[in-house]
Amino acid sequence: MTDSRTREAEWVPPMELDPGRAAPVPAAEEEAIIAGTAPRTAGERLPALLAVDDRPKSRVGRWLVGAVAALVLVALGFDTWDLLNRSFATSVALGALVASLAVVAGGAAVAMLVGELRSLRRLRRIEALRQEAERLSGAVEPGEADRFAGSLTRLYAGRTDLAPSLERVKDHVTDAHDDHEVVRLLDREVMAPLDSRAYQMVLRASRDTAVATALSPAAVVDLAVVLWRNLKLVREIAALYGARPGYVGSLKLLRRMLANIAVAGVAESAHHVAVEALGGSLAAAISTRMGQGVINGLLTARVGVTAMHLCRPIAFGAENRPSLGQIRKELLSLPKQVL
Amino acid sequence: MRIPVFNDLFDAGTRFVERAGDLVTGGILEQDVRLGVTGLRRAGKTVFVTALVDNLLKAGRLPFLDVVSSGRFQAARLRPQPDPDVPRFDVERYLAALTGPEPHWPEPTRGIGQLRLSLRYRPNAVIKRTLQPVATLNLDIVDYPGEWLLDLPLLRQSFAEWSTLTLELAARPPRDELSAAWRGWLATVDPGAPAEEETARRGAALYTDYLHACRRSDNVLSLIQPGRFLEPGEWKDAPLLTFCPLPGEKRGRGSLWALMEERYEAYKAKVVRGFFSEHFARLDRQIVLIDVLGALNSGPAGMSDMKRALELSLEPFRHGSAGWLDWLFGTKIDRVLFAATKADHVASHQHNSLRHLLDRLVSDARSSIRFEGAQVDTMAIAALKCTETVVSEHEGRQLRCVRGVPIGRDRPTVLFPGEIPENADFPPGRDNPYKFMAFQPPDNLAHETRGLPHIRLDQALQFLLGDYLE
Repeated sequence: MTDSRTREAEWVPPMELDPGRAAPVPAAEEEAIIAGTAPRTAGERLPALLAVDDRPKSRVGRWLVGAVAALVLVALGFDTWDLLNRSFATSVALGALVASLAVVAGGAAVAMLVGELRSLRRLRRIEALRQEAERLSGAVEPGEADRFAGSLTRLYAGRTDLAPSLERVKDHVTDAHDDHEVVRLLDREVMAPLDSRAYQMVLRASRDTAVATALSPAAVVDLAVVLWRNLKLVREIAALYGARPGYVGSLKLLRRMLANIAVAGVAESAHHVAVEALGGSLAAAISTRMGQGVINGLLTARVGVTAMHLCRPIAFGAENRPSLGQIRKELLSLPKQVL
Repeated sequence: MRIPVFNDLFDAGTRFVERAGDLVTGGILEQDVRLGVTGLRRAGKTVFVTALVDNLLKAGRLPFLDVVSSGRFQAARLRPQPDPDVPRFDVERYLAALTGPEPHWPEPTRGIGQLRLSLRYRPNAVIKRTLQPVATLNLDIVDYPGEWLLDLPLLRQSFAEWSTLTLELAARPPRDELSAAWRGWLATVDPGAPAEEETARRGAALYTDYLHACRRSDNVLSLIQPGRFLEPGEWKDAPLLTFCPLPGEKRGRGSLWALMEERYEAYKAKVVRGFFSEHFARLDRQIVLIDVLGALNSGPAGMSDMKRALELSLEPFRHGSAGWLDWLFGTKIDRVLFAATKADHVASHQHNSLRHLLDRLVSDARSSIRFEGAQVDTMAIAALKCTETVVSEHEGRQLRCVRGVPIGRDRPTVLFPGEIPENADFPPGRDNPYKFMAFQPPDNLAHETRGLPHIRLDQALQFLLGDYLE
């Protein structure tokens, strides 16, 4: 919006205009965009992103990362070359085998990188969408929410399970809704069902982890179960929302997961100590195991909820923020179910 | 034989439970809520009630009403109203007027009308859900001429106070011209003289003419008391309505003053108090409809007149947070929504400015109601959306305009009604900055199956009734 002075300078008296020259632009634009047909450049689609991402980055840090990565690559290359030479020296068959292994490893690495980059491009869109949604919640500029709705619709274009909700939003949005309302409508109609499904996933994962770690005999099994279930949960949630968490988000998730694994390991070791301290009875053994399971379950739930926060195109508001309360209740009733 | 006996007992038990269940769903645990639709005349009460009923019956355009969007809403039906001595709100006639082959706005309301709408829904709250899987909410709505609302402040004013205020107001522009005849007559009579019916009738007639002139005036004048002088309802030609304000001090027995005062008090006791206690004293929720755009059209004088009328008309209501002792001491209104109606007369990007303007207009009333403990919100709504926002170019500028068919014409026009500044009521230094027009109802509503198109009616309902429908 222009500031008040320029608006005053351009003040237009009330009047009637020629109906023939009026264009129902908002409606037509809305249609086109919600249908996802209007091609737009990234800059045009997401004006917020360009403005936001200009914070100065540490140049030294980037040099460090680059240099270390290059060193590792060079060392790897030398070693591989060395290995190849030695195996060819031993026998041609062994050399061929090692060479093909190296080729497969290289190819797989490249493929992974490409996959990662592609998912990264998608993820960028999610982060940009989030910023856009947040901005629109406060803004009153008309028309931009339609673009936002269009971007979201394109993100979920292939999802048959979301088609009815998107259709409903398209039905409900009129030219009288402002941007904040359009975002709220998308949040309610499209995101809310996804949220409850994601919440069920988190609940299931945390129950699995809790039961498995409570029953598992060895610390190693605990670690493996926690790691596997956490990773699976994050993947499920990302697939549900149609986007992976960003760099920062991934780091945060990774840290949470590592903490979970550490706790799982420590809890398993501490279990023996606790049982000793409590007198070694069966009851003591069972209760410490249960406690351990509940803790692991809760930590898994925390990873899941964090993943939900990071993958959601529209950030959670104050009233629909997922809470651990329900999960905690569920987990605390678990000993009763298992015993 | 033991097992059949056991079976019989079991069957009896099942029947008992079923019957109890029928009792529960059949009326004992139904919840009633009285929604007070208050608003000065021409604020759009009748159309609001009609659109509300139609939208709840069809439930196709209420994405922001939680109970509907979460799929818990079953259906709504019109039911027999609770008070048999009040005429029914004729929703079918009003709907026919709005959606018929020649759509037009309903005639101004001349009498009272009541309606009960029952909503069936599946509760979300745990306790309610275990008690009854399907709950019923009875929504009672009363419609009445907006003129009558301004009688309510009379309850707290004596004849002398009311006379002073009214005379002061009548002497100020823009009312001074309209009231010239009546004030001329006042100058010739002596309030202390012995009362004569002929004098009283003459005064009341002149005063009524003045009130009619106020109502007809181009400036939207809101403060018109007493309302029954304009819309007498069932009191037509009663002696109760033959009085008018008199200047000066209280006079002795048998004087004209005493006669007028007696009738004023009778008017309060018989007409106003009855109206208030029957329809307003038991309200649970209130929506105050305000025709802000009409007041803007008539300039600063109209705005201040409306502000004063609004504040006066809100005084008698009991606002406050609902408590568990309410069944003993009577209910309080615990949620009030101030709504700027006819928001479709401006382009959609102006709704926010309209709402800010409404905030400023009701700021005093709002804070005093909040102080009492009730929740207050403001919104820009339109019960029936008659226009669409379009973009048109004017001297190289893109203007957001509204397109619709103005009343009295048969072709649509594109209107740029002027822009409301975000932080002021009027753009500084401009004469006639606004030209809001009244539009006809759209002519394609005959086969509308989703409910009448509206602006934010669903959000208004969510604020007013959302917690009942949890």
